Amino acid sequence: MAVKKDLSINYLGLKCENPFFLSSSPVGSCYEMVAKSFEAGWGGVFYKTVGIFVADECSPRFDNNSKEGLRWVGFKNMEQISDKPTELNFENIARLKRDYPDKLMVASIMGSDDDEWKKLAKMAEQAGADMIEGNFSCPQMSNHAMGSDVGSSPDLVRRYSKAVTEVTKLPFIAKMTPNITSMEIPARAAAEGGAAGISAINTIKSITNIDLENLTSMPVVDGKSSISGYSGAAVKPIALRFIAQMAKDEKLKGVEFSGIGGVETWQDALEFVLLGARNIQVTTGIMQYGYRIVEDMISGFSHFMDEKGVSSVDELVGGALSNIIPAEDLNRDFKVLPSFDEDRCIGCGRCYISCYDGAHQAIDWDEERRRPKLNDNCVGCHLCLNVCPVQECILPGEIKFKEGRRAGDVVIKRHYE
Amino acid sequence: MSKVFKSDYSSEAVAGFTHRTAIEEAARCLLCHDAPCSQGCPAGTDPAKFIRSIRFRNTKGAAETIRENNVLGGSCARICPYDRLCEEECSRCGIDRPIEIGRLQRYAVEQEEAFGMRTLKAPERTNGVKVACIGAGPASLACAAELAKAGYLVTIFEKEEKAGGMLTYGVLPARLPQRVVDHDVAMTAGLGIKFEFGKKVGRDVSLDDLRKKGFKAFFVGAGLWRAKRPDIPGSDLNGVFTAVDFLKKAREAGGVPEIKGKSVVVVGGGDVAVDSAVTAKLAGAEQVVIYYRRTLEEAPANMDEIRYAISIGITVATNFAPSEISGTGRVEYVSFRGRDGKSEAKVAADAVVFAIGQDPEDMSWLTGVKLTEKGTIMTSRNGTTDAEAVFAAGDIVNNGKTAVEAVAAGKGAAFDMMSFLGK
Repeated sequence: MAVKKDLSINYLGLKCENPFFLSSSPVGSCYEMVAKSFEAGWGGVFYKTVGIFVADECSPRFDNNSKEGLRWVGFKNMEQISDKPTELNFENIARLKRDYPDKLMVASIMGSDDDEWKKLAKMAEQAGADMIEGNFSCPQMSNHAMGSDVGSSPDLVRRYSKAVTEVTKLPFIAKMTPNITSMEIPARAAAEGGAAGISAINTIKSITNIDLENLTSMPVVDGKSSISGYSGAAVKPIALRFIAQMAKDEKLKGVEFSGIGGVETWQDALEFVLLGARNIQVTTGIMQYGYRIVEDMISGFSHFMDEKGVSSVDELVGGALSNIIPAEDLNRDFKVLPSFDEDRCIGCGRCYISCYDGAHQAIDWDEERRRPKLNDNCVGCHLCLNVCPVQECILPGEIKFKEGRRAGDVVIKRHYE
Repeated sequence: MSKVFKSDYSSEAVAGFTHRTAIEEAARCLLCHDAPCSQGCPAGTDPAKFIRSIRFRNTKGAAETIRENNVLGGSCARICPYDRLCEEECSRCGIDRPIEIGRLQRYAVEQEEAFGMRTLKAPERTNGVKVACIGAGPASLACAAELAKAGYLVTIFEKEEKAGGMLTYGVLPARLPQRVVDHDVAMTAGLGIKFEFGKKVGRDVSLDDLRKKGFKAFFVGAGLWRAKRPDIPGSDLNGVFTAVDFLKKAREAGGVPEIKGKSVVVVGGGDVAVDSAVTAKLAGAEQVVIYYRRTLEEAPANMDEIRYAISIGITVATNFAPSEISGTGRVEYVSFRGRDGKSEAKVAADAVVFAIGQDPEDMSWLTGVKLTEKGTIMTSRNGTTDAEAVFAAGDIVNNGKTAVEAVAAGKGAAFDMMSFLGK
């Protein structure tokens, strides 16, 4: 009797049973993997990027970084596009579409010139793919005519988008690199070239850890290593920012967005949806935990919709966008003082240390009682609330208006997890 | 001097998780591929799945998993012997210590209640077939739930005024607060199950009466309610209790006023003995001593519970069995004989609680059902008895095991009943 909602959504003119897709990566690189993911509940796949170029991979090729014992905060990957023969990949796509007609198959392709892009697009259409994604963004290609070097050039993005859309009627999605300042510029170029959708973000160029044994970065490949793409929970804030900026861009009106970056839970996915994404792609979460994570994404998302009385995912798309405004437009007339719950407080003093060393010396420490006490220095920054290890021990309290400013209603957050 | 922990009769022994601490604990879980914890649960509660749901911020989904697999998930979360079930199987034991599965289960069920979730709903269509469950303890509730989910019209007949059986009348509220049992029962009742309280089948109404009323099959989850008393001089003196009566009295009255400031002897070595001793101590007894006839290593009681009992100032004496209770009109002394055949002891006491096991009540009214020498019911593996359309499981069959095993057996019997009714 588990709560199950209709999570179907129209994406680029096609109905998807849910917005949760595998992104073009190691998690969707052969028939068996994709088939298993479909059985687990994923709505579709961006099949691992196919090129004329067949990758020759290094070993090892992954690394992760941790914080306070929590591993996989971020993940580094040196794998390039598919290392399987081009024809075999399209055969797999055709078989998957035949065996799972209700799931969406997106063929991710990458060429190194106009002809390759056109050839791959035609092969994708012939294989029966529902859509095509152009990979303009892999940051670890061993050939610089491909990957993120292309994605950071609006001219090449426009040109290759055009090459693809000239030879196929299938919806075309351009996958963006975050290794630039402003993603709207290449995204507009893609739209000008005929792209109907934008997916973002691909991975961020990174060095995760330095190996002190070999004095190179991780992973160590015959004593050396390279800069390559970073993903996982740590990149979600960066991905959300790019999606929000593109979704608010007037020149990108009508373009549909697919959100990628650190999605592990239904809540992560919902955040992308609320910023305008109609589709969600996942890789790193699956590499760490397996396809099964989609079960709790579907169930958790359903419960959220049930709780809020929302009947379709569509109603949620872009719901938070209007509340994200330029810094200069924020109401700066007041401060919200923290309120300390003496019964919940365990007397650890972390708020006191952080306020003194990192904020405004606004907390006095009662050594006798081992409890914090707020003084007049408080500016309402809420560093204390952020550092307190006890749930709901420090919460927003009294609202104080700055001198000479007019008092009015102020919306604040009340519930913290 | 060691520090003795003080608390009240009804205050809970262990605090629950908050959202944040639950996520932290769930994050310790290794999310095993073939999670041994899930295989370790007799009732199939599937901890691996609900812990994963908590880890991925889907507490509601976690509550659904628990409730759908084990209708008494809230109660089991409090009293299950995890240390020899799911937590013993936990892979994390190989690194440091197991995931606190019981506390995570408790958290998810508490959230289910806090969210006002209706995890179990009556099926939209019933099949019109009436079945009766006798007794409202764990086995019966679990059996009734499976039948109700499948569309049967289930009525539970219970001799007491409240559902829950031993959960309601035989466990210390510090371990299992009544509201937790009541919530489990309410969720189960949500499947459309009817309860008839104060009605003992075999005394107030016969199986034939029920057959005439159209009931097509019967589940007997009568439990073990006749407490054993040792055959020694003085066991009928005033101040001698059986554990069942003692715990029931304490739960109904919220304590036992007559033992305040008194000295209490508890005889036995199982969970019920420990619960009785803790009840006596928390209810205000000055001195409480558990006497067990064997050694601590041989005692069936959960070691954590024994540790807790010691932490609140209870003494445990081993290798002594009672030989006589003496006093004028009421208990004044209890005499013991040592297991070694040489030692003897005579201690002053105001009350004695016997927690040396329970027997079934007279089951001979169940015509055609084969009974064991002890009076328990003989069944096939899944609860089929020798009498047509009569099934049984739980304590009345296994002679007294845990609640989670009763849930498992009740579920199993439901499937036998359905295949019988489906013929």
